[in-house]
Amino acid sequence: MSTEHNFSIVARNISKTFQITEDSHNTVKHRLFNLFNPPRAKKVLALKSMSLDVVKGESIGLIGRNGSGKSTLTKLLAGVYKTDTGSIDINGTTMLMNLGVGMSHELTARENIYVSGSVLGLKIKDIDAIFDEIVDFAELREFIDTKIKFFSSGMVARLGFSIAVKAGADIMFLDEIFAVGDMKFQEKAVKVFESSWIKGKTVVLVSHTMDIIQKYCQRSAYLKKGELIYFGDTATAVEMYLKDNE
Amino acid sequence: MFIKVVKDWIRRSNKLERIWLLAKIEFKLRYYENKLGLLWALIKPISDIFIYYIAFQKILNQGIPNFVSFLFIGLILWNFFVECTSGTVQILSTKKYLYEYTNMNKIEIYLSTILANCIGFFFNLFFFIIFYEFIDKGTLGLSWTAFYFIPIFINTVLLALAFSTILSSIYVLAKDITQIWMVITGIGFWVSPIVFNLEKFRTALPGADHVNPIAGIIINARNVLLYQKSPEWNLFVFDFIYAAILILIGAFLLNKVGSKASEKL
Repeated sequence: MSTEHNFSIVARNISKTFQITEDSHNTVKHRLFNLFNPPRAKKVLALKSMSLDVVKGESIGLIGRNGSGKSTLTKLLAGVYKTDTGSIDINGTTMLMNLGVGMSHELTARENIYVSGSVLGLKIKDIDAIFDEIVDFAELREFIDTKIKFFSSGMVARLGFSIAVKAGADIMFLDEIFAVGDMKFQEKAVKVFESSWIKGKTVVLVSHTMDIIQKYCQRSAYLKKGELIYFGDTATAVEMYLKDNE
Repeated sequence: MFIKVVKDWIRRSNKLERIWLLAKIEFKLRYYENKLGLLWALIKPISDIFIYYIAFQKILNQGIPNFVSFLFIGLILWNFFVECTSGTVQILSTKKYLYEYTNMNKIEIYLSTILANCIGFFFNLFFFIIFYEFIDKGTLGLSWTAFYFIPIFINTVLLALAFSTILSSIYVLAKDITQIWMVITGIGFWVSPIVFNLEKFRTALPGADHVNPIAGIIINARNVLLYQKSPEWNLFVFDFIYAAILILIGAFLLNKVGSKASEKL
């Protein structure tokens, strides 16, 4: 495991600070009228400088209490947020999944399947080939040409999950995904997760359920107050996390 | 950034397919969702032509030969530019669902929206050619110089892309750029030769054809399509340089400010 192209993600000295402005200086008018009264910005250090690598095909866990920086780290590693320092090399398409994927409510389920599939790197003929599987998995065949703004939140989540299951990206970031749909759907989701994602893709799994982390992840990162405290074998990371929760 | 996009295209060939898919859906949403459908794309320039014909040809009596064709080509180019830029000011907010969950390159979102506008433009251009060649009497007709329209239109697309990236990046920091751009395009319409005799325009507003890049585009489009002339080369080159500089500024802003859209918007 050691040549550079064996890695899905190589992050070096990455950090992230959010600037939260107290006044609403988000118009040209405001900025002009307050030229000599700049907005008071509060800096929040969300992630302290850290480095980590994710090997192709491995499944790693991200654990830590609320506000520890897990979501920020996933967004940085997925290429959605820009890092303030350091660099991230991402080798492949990424998908950040948090109860579904990004979909437009102005589009029909059919259009969303094609758009999401294409964004995840599939060619149209590949999407054609898995289209029926996605529709059946989501149990939405009779609503396929309905705009998803008319769907219930459960239907939208099922569609998003089904697209992710069948289309997927090279690197999947899964943030508490086992909460989608009813019990029957969850059982189905877990089966697919085990058979196709864990075996075939690079997965970064975020969860507060330690059983899930221990079952699926070879290595895990433990974060506390924006700092990477430990990155290594899952048992040690979980032990540190549980101790912190005592 | 642009070199990286081209390299990516070569490596992963679904990008062109994706841009076309997004463009088709955008086009469908815009025109097929209302009862008039694609005709709506044509009704806008026709109603504008009617109003300006009455005002500038009948009342002010400018005496421009084939005034309807003269207006038609000017208006469809101007409307294309305004629709591309106004439609993309808020693009980082309205199309957030495309980049918020993946590492998709944002430039593809701009290209697909501009491509959707190109479909509408070509539809209008087709009707312009029919009107100019077969309905408008006393025209010179199209000649080989019409082929110059291809680089002129490419120049228009580049300008639209440049302004789109600049405006949408500014939108991340200042939301009222939408209203400000509406005012600027309103002024830009009158600081262009769309409805005016070119000589009078140049006498009254010297240099305006260089300040407003679409003015130069319209002047050259009329030269090559209506008058069987070559483009005015200084304007032709100037507008390409204009577009190149603005594209660099747009790429810089998109990289600096637009890249923070997912956390700021």
